[in-house]
Amino acid sequence: MVTVSTANEAQLVTQAQNGDRNAFSELVRLHAQGVLNVIYRMCGDVQLAEDAAQETFIRAWQNLSSYRPQTSLRNWLYRIAVNAGTDMLRKEKRIVPDAIEDLHLSDGQPGLESLLLQQERTVSVQKAILSLPDASRAVLVLREYEGLSYQEISSTLDIPLGSVMSRLSYARSLLKAKLEPQLSLLEAEHV
Amino acid sequence: MSNHVSEWLNAYYDGELKGARLHQVEEHLAACEACQAEFESLQGLSALLQEAPTAQFISNERFVSQVNLRLPQRRVSATRQKLFEVGWWMAPVGLLMIWIFISTTIFISDMVSAANKFGLLDDAAPLLVSDSSAGMWTSTLRQFGLLEGEGLQWAERIEIYTRNVLPQFVWQVSIAMLYLTWIAISWVRQRRQGQVPLLES
Repeated sequence: MVTVSTANEAQLVTQAQNGDRNAFSELVRLHAQGVLNVIYRMCGDVQLAEDAAQETFIRAWQNLSSYRPQTSLRNWLYRIAVNAGTDMLRKEKRIVPDAIEDLHLSDGQPGLESLLLQQERTVSVQKAILSLPDASRAVLVLREYEGLSYQEISSTLDIPLGSVMSRLSYARSLLKAKLEPQLSLLEAEHV
Repeated sequence: MSNHVSEWLNAYYDGELKGARLHQVEEHLAACEACQAEFESLQGLSALLQEAPTAQFISNERFVSQVNLRLPQRRVSATRQKLFEVGWWMAPVGLLMIWIFISTTIFISDMVSAANKFGLLDDAAPLLVSDSSAGMWTSTLRQFGLLEGEGLQWAERIEIYTRNVLPQFVWQVSIAMLYLTWIAISWVRQRRQGQVPLLES
């Protein structure tokens, strides 16, 4: 993961706000992976995640003057990313990759069964995440995959702390219900 | 059961609890099998979610190039934006100055009229005070004999009122309306900035 000091990032932001495209490219380089991950976890489609991530940075460039340097740039970008991902998903109506179908027919290799099981679980997880309401899905992704604190999620999505807690709890209880077979299987594997 | 800690388990699992609440949940978990099972199911769910690998995206360099190609060539420069911001926040100051100027003018005008009534202006009176009691259209009505007596007196009062009081009222209301509009637009702008960029249509 690319890291950069806060001072350096602040300097890049100032330069980009003054129209420096190279400075902005550097910011894109620093935050691309995080933004791509957030969107991918929200939509489960690589192509859609890349499109929405590009859209995220274009919106960020167009609205950079409204970014307040005292807040976290990463969280500001995540917020745009969540919106861009949700918009794109609604527009494209593209659902989870069906890589699992490609693997079904070619069996006979050792270890393929477990690989297949894991693939199947991955697809089930992505489908379950995708079935969550937009608001809960965003909170879940930011917490589970990006490790943001409740306070960070609250300021990123501009929602009260109580809503972060309730949406996360709701998302997790829905996922537990939807992924019950996979959870049992995982538990059995680890026993 | 009401003494279970289900509602706090997510926050406990995420390390978001502190102080007495943390202590309460820890104590309860040590003694309650149902809550322990629920806590373990949270751990299991996280493990399952983490198991799903992240995707292989295009290289960072290629992604940056693609974004660069799509970046709009022209955007409002930060300097122009800053100037606009300064102008925007100066708007209420301008309104306040206009209000002070008008109020001061009206106050001085009232003071001069009062001084004139008490005969304090002597020779300077014709220079400073216009004869506001002689209304233009009531004089015309009088000349043509269209109004007389009490009717004429009422018409004169109405004309004096409309000439002296109404403009003050209109000014004050106009400035207040402009200020309220400015507050409303500022509020909308702040909400938009807080919510972060929406797609341009």
